[in-house]
Amino acid sequence: MQDRVVITGYGCLTASGADAAMTWEAILARESGIRQAETWDSSGWPYHLAGEIKDYNPRELVADRKLLKFITRQDVIGLNAVTQAVAHSKIIEHRDGFADPSSFNDRTGVFVGSPATKYRSQHDYLSSLSKAAGDPREFGIRAMEDVHPMWLLRALPNNVLAYAGIQYGFKGANANVTAHGISGSQAIAEACRYLRDGAIDRAIVVGYDSASELEALPYYASVGLLSSRGLKPFDRSRDGTVLGEGAGALFLETRDEAERRSATIYGEVLGSSVVSEAEGVLSVREDGAGVSQAIRSALEDSEKSSDEIGMISAHANGTRVSDASEARAFIDVFGASSIPVTGFKWSLGHTIAASGVIESILTLRCLADGRVPGIPTLEELSPDCEGIRASAVEQKPKSSVGIVVSRAFAGLNSCIVLSTNG
Amino acid sequence: MRAAPRRVAVTGIGMVTPLGNDVTSTWNALLGGESGVREIAGFDASGFPTRIAAEVRGLRAEEVVEDRKSLKYATPFSLFALAAAEEAVRDAGVRPTQKTAERWGLVSGSGMMTQEFDFLQRFQREFAADGEIDVARLGAEGERFISSPEFARHRTVAGQALLHKRYGIRGYSANLHTACASGGQALGLAMRVIRSGQADYVLAGGYDTMINPVGLAGFCLLGAISTDNDRPASASRPFDLTRNGFVLGEGAGFMVLEDWQRARDREAKIYAELAGEGNSLSSYRITDSPPSGDGPIQAICGALADAGESAGAIDYVNAHGTSTPMNDLSETNAIKAVFGDRAGDLAVSSTKSQMGHLIAAAGAVEGVICALAIEHSTAPMTTNLRTPDPECDLDYVTEGCRTIQIDVALSNSFGFGGSNSCLIFRSPQRAESRGQ
Repeated sequence: MQDRVVITGYGCLTASGADAAMTWEAILARESGIRQAETWDSSGWPYHLAGEIKDYNPRELVADRKLLKFITRQDVIGLNAVTQAVAHSKIIEHRDGFADPSSFNDRTGVFVGSPATKYRSQHDYLSSLSKAAGDPREFGIRAMEDVHPMWLLRALPNNVLAYAGIQYGFKGANANVTAHGISGSQAIAEACRYLRDGAIDRAIVVGYDSASELEALPYYASVGLLSSRGLKPFDRSRDGTVLGEGAGALFLETRDEAERRSATIYGEVLGSSVVSEAEGVLSVREDGAGVSQAIRSALEDSEKSSDEIGMISAHANGTRVSDASEARAFIDVFGASSIPVTGFKWSLGHTIAASGVIESILTLRCLADGRVPGIPTLEELSPDCEGIRASAVEQKPKSSVGIVVSRAFAGLNSCIVLSTNG
Repeated sequence: MRAAPRRVAVTGIGMVTPLGNDVTSTWNALLGGESGVREIAGFDASGFPTRIAAEVRGLRAEEVVEDRKSLKYATPFSLFALAAAEEAVRDAGVRPTQKTAERWGLVSGSGMMTQEFDFLQRFQREFAADGEIDVARLGAEGERFISSPEFARHRTVAGQALLHKRYGIRGYSANLHTACASGGQALGLAMRVIRSGQADYVLAGGYDTMINPVGLAGFCLLGAISTDNDRPASASRPFDLTRNGFVLGEGAGFMVLEDWQRARDREAKIYAELAGEGNSLSSYRITDSPPSGDGPIQAICGALADAGESAGAIDYVNAHGTSTPMNDLSETNAIKAVFGDRAGDLAVSSTKSQMGHLIAAAGAVEGVICALAIEHSTAPMTTNLRTPDPECDLDYVTEGCRTIQIDVALSNSFGFGGSNSCLIFRSPQRAESRGQ
């Protein structure tokens, strides 16, 4: 019998709220954190919407001020979520009871969904390039003078993994998943794998991103993925997504470990999947076959049948093809109008590598509170999404089991199955 | 009752390295003690403190990728991946079919530098003529500035997408990046995916290059790489007292991993069993493991336990051996801590002495080398170790490649950020005799 994996802590930071409770309240209150981007002067930009963290202040988000020299905005956001989830789990108080915590630390993993490197990390070289005026030798000389010696370390895609480990002394199995929009979900999936394999007893899992960076907006718009009006999942008039910033973190343990320390159990990860449609970087199958395959595979992994599922947290990113193909998959697997479908990106923006973890936390809240929030920007269900039970008004989950669907470039699809039926 | 766990066979291997653009040429160059380190040819590096690297030479894109459309979506390091993966798939003699596509997975460790230097230069000329970004102009023109294939190439999953599409792999997928541990972690994860039954076959490996002006600048600024520009061939000298940093390499290593029973049933050539993974975090400093070896020690012990082998069974260690002062000391001490009295008798070598450090590809390429070491009963050597370091006093196989029977090999990879990946490869004979 494989170990079961339970959730004993969580935390998040989103455009809609500084923690999980605030984010959840904002969504129930039908509030969106999407605004005109303010991190730079976006006035006059045709695509100017973003789900940015409000009142971003790194000194308040990360306790270790010296660390701020070595990390970037996305790392700050990620580490904040880690700190929230670890505190919520009360695991450090538990560890403090051990005379020698070394084997505890060796069996505590760190699993991360990372956005990898950003365009903006290379902006530190613009000044040297300008001065060099096309002379490569001059560029080398200038770069050595102008750029911060720690530049490379600030740019590392695995900083949140490294500093989460250093902050708490966790030394177990780890992975840094760089798979675009499924990174967060896959971090959960891989943590569960190592927990089930018995390689670790507990793990912090985090997905983080600052997807709405300066260059991302025009470039995502160039391939037709952004909306200039707002994110309207499954709506007839939807015309694209909105990028956002955020991070979510879960503390996972084997059920045995959690019960042994009498931890509060917020839910269980029943199973997961990751599959590829194999159609290229930007292509998406219109028939939703990849999403269907991901859902079926996750249900099988969870030993659940489709009629036991009580709600769907859809990817719902507001692009024409993704929403329509996803809707087809839901009908294919569950039948028409059977299960409440919601999504959260209309409020948070698309936080890419963070989205799977943030949406898993919100799904837990849905199941715990028996409330599936409506999608306020869904005014008229699109004909190509007909048959799914997505609604502008709140619904009730049909059971205590929910699924979280995430999608990414490279035709990647992931599904996480969660339960609050402790 | 629990069914016997599935075992994992290595049935296909492929490499693109600074020593050769395929398995045979790389292996022969290793046996010949050749060095792949030279003055940088890919761009004018004369303004940098370090002007040497181990570059892949003579790999022609058109020969790797037959269709022109895919080529538009391939960065230089995706191209390495495509070439090495193709060699591995051909070698394995099995590929996804309509029927098996969902039973195939892909796991890769890929490099961090997906944005090309040419693009950055163009961006600077267009939007930051004086070094400061003209934000209003970027908002107005940015959409037209980038092309669709360019946008696609910059995605971290670009190489993953190309590999999925080329082979029609429709099952499990993962793309990882833990710096220099990426390739090792990718192979370890792939092994677990097959064991759990999530896939029957996984194309797994790593690919990277950081040999471009920005990547070189980053390492020069950090002071992590050797500045021995006048003697490139001996610049990478792991475990030598005078070692002064690593040498950047580039390339890719891929394997076809397969459920053991399936490989046997189709009478495939099995190079080795990928038998164990140890995965740990040093949680010490970003650039180093501690001198005590803490972190790497847990990874080595984890791999041994996972493979069901004792320390005494290891015949060969392919070391991380980067040629930085701290790594080589930390790794030596980790080996001493795990192997105790036997540490001095163990054959330990660093192939980075010849091909430099392939960063996210290193663990995968060195995994392939372990499979070859088992097949050929030959431990590759550590070149350039001329001044022994009293603190690094293991048997580093300095006299030349050594003919020894290798039944169990250990491959170490330790990354910036503190991730450690150790893998155990077992000879087919030993795997079969254990299976009885």
